[in-house]
Amino acid sequence: KMTVEQDFEAVDQFPVGMRVLAVDDDQTCLRILETLLHRCQYHVTTTDSAQTALELLRENKNKFDLVISDVDMPDMDGFKLLELVGLEMDLPVIMLSAHSDPKYVMKGVKHGACDYLLKPVRIEELKNIWQHVVRKSKFKKMKSIVINDDHSQGNSDQNGVKANRKRKDQFEEVEEEDEERGNENDDPTAQKKPRVLWTRELHNKFLAAVDHLGVEKAQPKKILELMNVDKLTRENVASHLQKFRSALKKITNEANQQANMAAIDSHFMQMSALKGLGGFHNQRQIPLGSGQFHGGAATMRHYPLGRLNSFGGVFPHVSSSLPRNHNDGGYVLQGMPIPPLDDLNNKAFPSFTSQQSSLMVAPNNQLVLQGHQQSSYPSLNPGLSPHFEINKRLDDWSNALLSTNIPQSGVHSKPDALEWNHFCNSDAAQAGFIDPLQMKQQPANNLGPMTDAQLLRSSNPIEGLFVGQQKLENGSMPSNAGSLDDIVNSMTPKEQSQAELFEGDLGFGWHNSSLRTCI
Amino acid sequence: MDAHVAQLQMQYRNYILSLYQQGFLDDQFTELKSLQDDGTPDFVAEVLSLFFDDCVKLVGNMARALDQTGTVDFSQVGANVHQLKGSSSSVGAKRVKGLCINFKELCEAKNYEGCVRCLQQVDIEYKTLKAKLQDMFNLEKQIVQAGGIVPQVDIN
Repeated sequence: KMTVEQDFEAVDQFPVGMRVLAVDDDQTCLRILETLLHRCQYHVTTTDSAQTALELLRENKNKFDLVISDVDMPDMDGFKLLELVGLEMDLPVIMLSAHSDPKYVMKGVKHGACDYLLKPVRIEELKNIWQHVVRKSKFKKMKSIVINDDHSQGNSDQNGVKANRKRKDQFEEVEEEDEERGNENDDPTAQKKPRVLWTRELHNKFLAAVDHLGVEKAQPKKILELMNVDKLTRENVASHLQKFRSALKKITNEANQQANMAAIDSHFMQMSALKGLGGFHNQRQIPLGSGQFHGGAATMRHYPLGRLNSFGGVFPHVSSSLPRNHNDGGYVLQGMPIPPLDDLNNKAFPSFTSQQSSLMVAPNNQLVLQGHQQSSYPSLNPGLSPHFEINKRLDDWSNALLSTNIPQSGVHSKPDALEWNHFCNSDAAQAGFIDPLQMKQQPANNLGPMTDAQLLRSSNPIEGLFVGQQKLENGSMPSNAGSLDDIVNSMTPKEQSQAELFEGDLGFGWHNSSLRTCI
Repeated sequence: MDAHVAQLQMQYRNYILSLYQQGFLDDQFTELKSLQDDGTPDFVAEVLSLFFDDCVKLVGNMARALDQTGTVDFSQVGANVHQLKGSSSSVGAKRVKGLCINFKELCEAKNYEGCVRCLQQVDIEYKTLKAKLQDMFNLEKQIVQAGGIVPQVDIN
């Protein structure tokens, strides 16, 4: 069995080659999605049918790490797929949609989606999705560690402390400074007051209650009653509700804003087309370059379930976080015993519970509640405690990463040929890591040829300037960019000169084929 | 680098800029271009091909749905519009996407006349875009054949 240290090693390498199953009945979107995912260096399998997707998953659930699926598909409701995948395979599922209506987001949340992305999807959003997988798998591993390490508290503490530090370094910015938690994140021993950790399960109960009562009309007292969770107070619910409402409001506003901007822009454009007016391009007005806008762009276009989750509930990773200071025996955030949950399950609550209850197996796993002295539960590894929550901080963290010039370098820090060989037997593996860095470049000179020096310069890849076809000194451009009809008619055959191009160049050639074929 | 190539490149740049300026394309198209590289030199063309195929199919579906002698199934029309909206937004076909947004509202309002008119507009719009992009690709081809490289165009 893996030690905690080894676990973190795996995390470092992990995102590269992550196996994604992409599902969308729209062939245009699917093709784009596939390419975007490849750019993120994931391994991609695509299908245009939810039914096929299910079959693929059932055939071998260990074949994939994550599923991304459109919600509007003819042969099966995307939400249904989501539910089934969650239930049967317990894989993280990300929803995709062109619907910006928050009610769809809610629906996705309730059906267990890890995330909800709006089309058109941007690559920045996909770069972070691997974290959903880490959280889920971390949780699973910790479950087994907890169960197995019941009696080895001493050892695990030691490892745990180290792991804790390492983990904190890695995820530090991910931790949200929620008012409820305050700055206690930084000091595990100074738990000032008992607080509620809104786990996915707990949050789902909250959601169900709110849904039942109606978002507008729901009141903390009634919600509390419906939730029927031991030791939860009205205050807890009230503050959670407040956050929830404000997040929902924000999302709705953004969605409306986006829709309005699009509508306004299109009207404007048609009117002013002949006048050649400027100022239209970027209806979202989001410069692609700066790190802070990643958060902006993401929040506009992708329902940051992280934000909804900032109250903790929705994602599995939250449940995986162990109470911080269980050792001091004081205000331990204690898991609720399971039987009451089953009772809840039996009540007329929506269907998410079965999915969640599987997460509740680990004894430490919480509906973390207040003021319960730790007694019957095993001493838990303090190192495994911190919050993994996706939340707004996730965006910030990814900003921090992205703004340091080299994307993902903090994520997969060993861009060496071995990793690629592990996933795809490619000799040109090294080149693969160059690719994303050079993909987007500053055009130094729009009119002149791109010299090799320019090609190799690594500029800030986040600047979203498109890269036209580039020329290498030793060959001509692949000249198969003919008319669309030409292209349709002659899709595959590559010209001789182009084949030569692949030889001594940056080795992009392997990129497509090897990732697609290797499984 | 001879004058002919330079001239073609200039022409190309201006053409691209005008496509953006006139609202045919938006920054999503820019994103698409950025995904194309030496390893996938046909990427943009392939995706656009798929997109225009989709247009043909979806417009056909909508025309059929609207051509009912009995009651029109607006939700069916709406579903197709929704799909078109998704794909047009993904390729940066700004005008088409804009029309889809209006179209959706018309479907929800079950405005038959409005829908029919909007569908006609969609039809014209995607065909116009297709022709424009064809011209763009042709320019690229000419540049390359004249021994030049296709310039990156800075939209901003």
